[in-house]
Amino acid sequence: MEKIKEHTEPQKHQPKVKEEVVIAIKGLKKSFGNKHVLKDINLELKRGENLVILGRSGTGKSVTIECIVGLLKPDKGSLKVFGNEVVDMNDKELKELRMKIGFLFQSGALYDSMTIRENLEFPLTRILKLKDQKQIDKKVKEALDNVGLLEAIDKMPSDLSGGMRKRAGLARTLVVNPEIMLYDEPTTGLDPITSREISELILTIQKKNKTSSIIITHDMECARIAADRVLVMENGEYIAEGTFDELHQSKNKTVSAYFNDIL
Amino acid sequence: MAEETTIPGWKRWLEGIGDQVEFIIKFVRNIFTGGFEWSEFIRQCYEIGYRSIMLVGITSFIMGMVLILQLRPTLVSFGAVSMLPKTLSVSFIREIGPVIIAIICAGKIASSIGAELGSMKVTEQLSAMEVSGANPVQYLVVTRILATTLMVPLLSVLGDAIGLFGGYLALNLRDSMSFSLYFGKIIGALDFSDFLPALVKTIFFGFAIGFVGCYKGFHSNKGTESVGIAANSAVVTASLWIFVIDAIAVQITSLLFYK
Repeated sequence: MEKIKEHTEPQKHQPKVKEEVVIAIKGLKKSFGNKHVLKDINLELKRGENLVILGRSGTGKSVTIECIVGLLKPDKGSLKVFGNEVVDMNDKELKELRMKIGFLFQSGALYDSMTIRENLEFPLTRILKLKDQKQIDKKVKEALDNVGLLEAIDKMPSDLSGGMRKRAGLARTLVVNPEIMLYDEPTTGLDPITSREISELILTIQKKNKTSSIIITHDMECARIAADRVLVMENGEYIAEGTFDELHQSKNKTVSAYFNDIL
Repeated sequence: MAEETTIPGWKRWLEGIGDQVEFIIKFVRNIFTGGFEWSEFIRQCYEIGYRSIMLVGITSFIMGMVLILQLRPTLVSFGAVSMLPKTLSVSFIREIGPVIIAIICAGKIASSIGAELGSMKVTEQLSAMEVSGANPVQYLVVTRILATTLMVPLLSVLGDAIGLFGGYLALNLRDSMSFSLYFGKIIGALDFSDFLPALVKTIFFGFAIGFVGCYKGFHSNKGTESVGIAANSAVVTASLWIFVIDAIAVQITSLLFYK
């Protein structure tokens, strides 16, 4: 397959990002049995940047971010987060790293047996080891308020709609103030209005918390709203890189297929 | 995601054994490392213990009654009706009570743990817990296995008492025996060697129920179908383990107490 590299030129509306690299991936490979999911992944995420990864299902997008948090171990290659090699980390180091990374799962992954309040208290008491109930309450309410879900604080996850569950999952991730956010298809299964709200929320989080994010999505509207830079992935490799507008003009058939419906 | 490859049955079986040993090691290590999840442990004791009382109570009561009603004709033919309390108490305390109650608990508790953890895996809650820096083994596995290990023996003791009471009521349907006489005959019939081994084996039953439920849930595949498979497999495996443990326990008890 023809590889194209779109040159990224800063645009006027693009937020100014610092050049410090927070995630650096070189030559990452991962196979399951005989299936080579990641063939040769090279990626850099800069501080304060929103990087969107586009690609068809099964091309290895989720596997990439699962490698970043150590849920999966790559077969080969270098994967550095804040300059530290993730592959070589022991359990303690991995735990410390994970405290700095937020991961929003496709389903929201709220703990079913807990209320929304307890879901948010869980990382505060176990990761940040907070003991003061007033401080915990304040942080929980603040995080829920940021995603517009304060009224659902004492509800069970089963009482919430898909969009609300995703926002609650986002609040749980954000309550510990992560420096890096990894979003696994944050708008999948949501209606267009809620999808837009979530996409705008991602942008707000970037600006407010100064987080660096990798967003995996099929939703072009989400990519248009949230992306500073877009990577297109095909068969375990990146085939194009650029801003949303640059890739929109791409002549590469695979790349342009994603943008066909965008006016 | 993973491609299907043909692995020989014996190799898969050995891998399964290895996984289970690794899971036990993880469980033991997590009891002593990090903070113990007391609130979750107490919640699990409530869910596993308190919420099973009704089921265990009714089953034991009926078992006690049925045993007396079944034993009576035989003992009558030998002119040994007065032996009914002794026969019931020894058989119930030593064998029938612990095994039946453990099987009931396997059906209720192991399936519920398997299904709960299985669905947590399917909905990525286990991964979310791991990614957030919390320890799912410490929070979910340690608390559940310890809760079943503690609660199943207590349920068993309670079930024994209710079963013997059911036997008393059944006895008084045809014959007449005061409660104090019935109770006195039971106490007189029972020995330390009847009660202690039975109690000790229920501890192992409880551990097996919790362990199998957690293991099956934790190792279920990603897919809604696998939740049902995890629950079903947890009940079948836990029940099988109960009989295996019982067979071993009987041998050990015979060697130690009934030379």
